[in-house]
Amino acid sequence: MHERLSFHMKRNSVIHRLNPLTKLVLILALILISFTSPWYWTPHFVLLLAIIPLSALGGVFPEFFKTATRLILPAASFLFLMQAFFQPIGEDVIFKFYFLDITQESLMFAFRNAMRVFVMVSAFTLFLLTTHPSELMSDLTRRGLPPQFAYVIISTLQILPQMQAKAQTIIAAQRSRGLDTESTFFKRAGSVVPLVGPLVFGSLVEVEERAIAIEARGFTSKHSKTSLHEIPDPSFDKVIRWVLLALVILSIAANLWLA
Amino acid sequence: MKIEITNLRFTYPTGLEALQGISLTINAGEQVAIVGQNGAGKTTLVRHFNGLLQPACGSVLIGDWDTKKTSVAKLASRVGYVFQNPDEQLFSRDVLTEITFGPRNLGYSKEKIDGLVKRALALTELSDKTEINPYDLSPTWRKMVALASIIAMDTPIVIFDEPTTGQDALNVARIANVIAELRQEGKTVVTITHDIDFCAENFERVIALSNGQVLLDGPAREVLGREEILAQTYVDPPQLTRLGKRLGLKETVRNQEEFLKAIW
Amino acid sequence: MAFVELQNVTYKYPLTKTPALQNINLQINEGEFVAVIGPNGAGKSTLCYALAGFVPHFFKGEISGTIEVAGKESGKSTLDEWVLNVGLAFQNPFNQISGAKYTVFEEIAFGLENIGVPREEMKSRVEDAMALTGIRDLADRSPYSLSGGQQQRVALTSILVMQPKLLVLDEPTSQMDPIGTREVFGTIRKMAEDGMTVVLVEHKMEWIAQFADRVVALKDGSVLLEGKPSEVLTSDLLAENGFGISRYTSTAREAKKRGLWKKENLPVTLDEAVAGFKL
Repeated sequence: MHERLSFHMKRNSVIHRLNPLTKLVLILALILISFTSPWYWTPHFVLLLAIIPLSALGGVFPEFFKTATRLILPAASFLFLMQAFFQPIGEDVIFKFYFLDITQESLMFAFRNAMRVFVMVSAFTLFLLTTHPSELMSDLTRRGLPPQFAYVIISTLQILPQMQAKAQTIIAAQRSRGLDTESTFFKRAGSVVPLVGPLVFGSLVEVEERAIAIEARGFTSKHSKTSLHEIPDPSFDKVIRWVLLALVILSIAANLWLA
Repeated sequence: MKIEITNLRFTYPTGLEALQGISLTINAGEQVAIVGQNGAGKTTLVRHFNGLLQPACGSVLIGDWDTKKTSVAKLASRVGYVFQNPDEQLFSRDVLTEITFGPRNLGYSKEKIDGLVKRALALTELSDKTEINPYDLSPTWRKMVALASIIAMDTPIVIFDEPTTGQDALNVARIANVIAELRQEGKTVVTITHDIDFCAENFERVIALSNGQVLLDGPAREVLGREEILAQTYVDPPQLTRLGKRLGLKETVRNQEEFLKAIW
Repeated sequence: MAFVELQNVTYKYPLTKTPALQNINLQINEGEFVAVIGPNGAGKSTLCYALAGFVPHFFKGEISGTIEVAGKESGKSTLDEWVLNVGLAFQNPFNQISGAKYTVFEEIAFGLENIGVPREEMKSRVEDAMALTGIRDLADRSPYSLSGGQQQRVALTSILVMQPKLLVLDEPTSQMDPIGTREVFGTIRKMAEDGMTVVLVEHKMEWIAQFADRVVALKDGSVLLEGKPSEVLTSDLLAENGFGISRYTSTAREAKKRGLWKKENLPVTLDEAVAGFKL
């Protein structure tokens, strides 16, 4: 009845088999390096030489490409334009648009920032595509993360697709009452209220009932928890995590050194 | 108004073939119940009637409008659809505004809207509750508000998706009352229901779906007597029908009147 | 002392004026299957929450009287201890999905993970529970992709797998197809015969009559009637107070007026109706 409710794509790849924490460390390291490395082209290279090849290795390149071009690219382009126009740095004006100047410096600055954001969002996309959220939760809980905290993370990962499915039903209900959601912008803006009301109220009821439902199933039990899935964490994963940590420290050190 | 469905097929993005070639004609003024097991395709089918879903193959005609070529908002003037869960539908500050929403969208005159709203309120016994916020009402009354908000649109076709689920006897009687009134007015009523006794007492024609296909379709008396075939789609005949069978009555009986007449 | 014992329980939700439960006294024996009926707003769900510990531990509000299950008193326990003995499933199946799991199998295992059941035992308990409720074929589906009736079976299984001593069910079959409903009633009956105590809120009189040991009729937060299904469900008080009654009973009552029902007692089940009308 409903659409798929997680981003995770079931594949049998090297990336999928990595321990969830390793993947989390991997993408955080890529992001941190993109943001801290003093070398200008770092984020571009991280994207081209790490994230894109990793998505291919994980067998999720088509899905990754779709999200990147449809969602991340427009957002990053917008950020790029805003920064290029409104960043008052540099004298070397290469483009004029009324009172707005684009300088070589602002262009370079905007390009790097847009790339950093691109790397950040695409790294998370890669993570979500290749990591099963319940494996991540089990693994983090096993490592001592409070289960309540893990639950919040996981249910948040699920909430967007869920809200989307719910919003679809509500939209369907209101269109059935003659609400025109397909025509002009003003009509569409006016049609927001009938959609938001049920969504918010529904969520309030849902939160209460869900709290009862998980409590009834021993969620706050003081027993030590067990896990249905065994999540392997071979020494190979540990080595990768240490190497990544070292790279991040190197990048930060280089940044401080040159600053 | 007539509903004409020709060779309708529909597949969800997940690959689930929910409807596998359905052809049906529902004539103006007919009262039709759709029954069948969970996942048989009942909701998927009726969501085609007002264009919420589009056929992958085949066609659905509402009067002379093809649902493929008509927007949902426009179809709303011919097909009213009461969703199963009223909480997915209600949003207004008070019951009156809520019920006025639909007819106003359809662009009726103020006088006409007032008349329709008044009638819908009376029919659902909500006349004394017009100023209450729907969310301060019990779920039972919220269901009635959802019903009223569709009835007020005065569409020639009204669809109910599981109207009696979770309702108590009093409210089921109210809902039956509303359906009887719509029949009086010559409306076409299509209702999805698991409540087979409710179905037997309020509908003349029954369609049993199974795995996206029509298993049985005909007068309620005929369909509800076919115990073995209904069992294929997880439906039991009504209580009095089963009782009549066990007592060896020749005719299939559906309700108290028919039963008492048959054993007289 | 009965297995479940409510003494003079009166309860008011926060910010409300009238009590949702008024002076409820109830004894339920171990392994008994008790059905609770009543019009909307009678306090059925509140009674379920009270048995399951959520009233007052979760909802707060004012409560008086005592609630005891298996020799423990609700007021002196914490909710997380209480739920180990008392399982609750309620009407809306969608909101009972944990949101933390991606397959039905994982969803059902969720409760067992929480209370620290070892992995191998967990798997076999989940398998057994799914077999019991007939949802083995749903094991790998996403709980969100299921229909309402299927989700209700998952919600029921998720609580059965915890093996509570007292099982509290608030309209667990409202979205199920007719034969599915009958099957679930049969499953619940079997659980009761194996020693589980069951309190079930339902509107479906035919199956209550056939499967429950006892019926409690609630009205405006108080117990109106209590006793065997054959006694309670045939009482004239039910129809007068807006309760549903089975077609067997209502038709026999009408037949009695016309002299077509000869027996003194009215029927509540198909078999009783067949026997009575054959006279």
